[in-house]
Amino acid sequence: MAQAPKLTSDVTRARPGPRRRPWGWFDFVLLAAVACFCVYLAWRTNVVFKYNWEWSTLWPFVFRFDTEAGKWVPNLIIEGLLTTLRLAIWGILLAGIIGTLMGLARNSQRLLLRLISGLYVMLIRNIPPVVFVFVFVFFIASQIMPKLALGDVVAGMSSTGQWWVHVFFGSPKLIDNFLLGLLCLSIFSGAYVTEIVRAGLESVPRSQIEAGDSLGFSRLDVMRFVVLPQALRNVLPPMAGQFIQLIKDSSLVSLVSIQELTFMAQDVQVTTQRVFEVFVFVGVIYFVICFALSRLFASLEQRYAQANR
Amino acid sequence: MNLYKRVLGAVAVSLLAVAWVPQAVAQDNLVDTIKKRGKMQVGFGSFVPWAMRDKQGQWVGFEIDVSTKLAKDMGVAVEFAPTAWDGIIPSLIASKFDVIIGSLSITPVRQEQIDFTTPYSNSGQGIAASKQLASKLKWPEGYNSADVTFTCRRGAAPCKIIEEKWPKASIRQFDDDAIAFQEVINGNAHAVISSEPKPTFFTLKNPDRLFKPSTENVTNSVEGFGLRKGNPAALAYFNEWITKNKDWLKERHTYWFKSQDWASMVP
Repeated sequence: MAQAPKLTSDVTRARPGPRRRPWGWFDFVLLAAVACFCVYLAWRTNVVFKYNWEWSTLWPFVFRFDTEAGKWVPNLIIEGLLTTLRLAIWGILLAGIIGTLMGLARNSQRLLLRLISGLYVMLIRNIPPVVFVFVFVFFIASQIMPKLALGDVVAGMSSTGQWWVHVFFGSPKLIDNFLLGLLCLSIFSGAYVTEIVRAGLESVPRSQIEAGDSLGFSRLDVMRFVVLPQALRNVLPPMAGQFIQLIKDSSLVSLVSIQELTFMAQDVQVTTQRVFEVFVFVGVIYFVICFALSRLFASLEQRYAQANR
Repeated sequence: MNLYKRVLGAVAVSLLAVAWVPQAVAQDNLVDTIKKRGKMQVGFGSFVPWAMRDKQGQWVGFEIDVSTKLAKDMGVAVEFAPTAWDGIIPSLIASKFDVIIGSLSITPVRQEQIDFTTPYSNSGQGIAASKQLASKLKWPEGYNSADVTFTCRRGAAPCKIIEEKWPKASIRQFDDDAIAFQEVINGNAHAVISSEPKPTFFTLKNPDRLFKPSTENVTNSVEGFGLRKGNPAALAYFNEWITKNKDWLKERHTYWFKSQDWASMVP
């Protein structure tokens, strides 16, 4: 019995600590091998792949010079990018709200709430996103959207009102189109956020809730002051992943003609016949957006970690 | 009443309310509906030279001319609804727009789902083949072999034609034409079938990679406006418009398909 603790401490000590290792010769060999492979790939591509790269036809679709107004104005790609950004921002908000509510419902003591949220997650997580997009748009949304007649509502607004709508949701003419895509994306992503929220809530030890109870907190206060702050810190990394996924998934709604970046890019492709330039350029744009978001979340994580030290 | 009951009650009531709002009855007469609304929504997919973007990012092309004139003659504005080709017929059925004016060939299968007007344009499917792979193949029977690969745009008429004419050949389908052609240019497939004048243009642009085994059309097809079923009045109205504008349609068709005068408009 006396030996057991000693053994454990030895094992603990033997584990590699956070010691940083400098570059060794093996790392350089590995790096060189990877570089060689990349060069070979590039060379093979050039041999097999007959394609005249011609980037100049692409740029007018990013910005074009308006001869009437005498200035540069954004063209299709930028318009699509703005729609994607709007989809991303509103989508993250909406999916966050849906996911939080449903996640709370998953942990609820009420059977009905648990059933509803469980069913929601089960349905959406177990069908492919493309199928969901088609089913949602053609069977569900086409019943609801015409009844809301949002296009008419916006058309009836004052010009300042329309200007604000334009800033937040894009061209009033395409408002139905945009909201359809947004709804589709948020409901889809919300299911994944729900599971992240549920896991976050469950990660807070039961004793914490009991401690809150015994201090005389109401149930809402236990949630607000005890559970949520701890849960939030725990879910930040997976949540970042999910939101980045949401931005990339937004390209899926191009299948149902939501005029975001991917849809516009396909238009430009067809018109210019420059398939790969457009692909590459759009890929770079998505990368920049997603990378920026991951940096943002990394700094959030750091701040939380420091605040909770 | 506690919070739980109130919230769930509100959700239930609003769901019922949405279901209760009477749906705008679209079945009465499409033309009246369009005129009352003051705009006609036209669905189409982008496809050179039917509908494409010019240097300003605006829509130009044969279909755009047709839709614009039709709307003008009806006294309404036109609203373009560019649509992914895969979903163009479901979108029409789901009332995302009023009519498809978008190079939609009249086929029996499509006629089961939607109604077509009388033809307003005719076109042909042409072929472009890879010099590297197909120059020794005999036209057309040599292409009916398991070693031959065709490419086409998914959901478009050429895929069906290939199945019928060259049943032994394999088909690879792509979301848009540009990639289908690129595969043949790269030497990954033997030939591509697409609606003319595209195969001719591509062959002229890539003379060292592509050739035309036959300058004749593989098949000829006619296009009509696509309408949801159950709109006989609208169908008659559009048919009359097409008959009345026969010469104008022909002149526009020649401009977009036979000439290259518009080439400077697009990049």
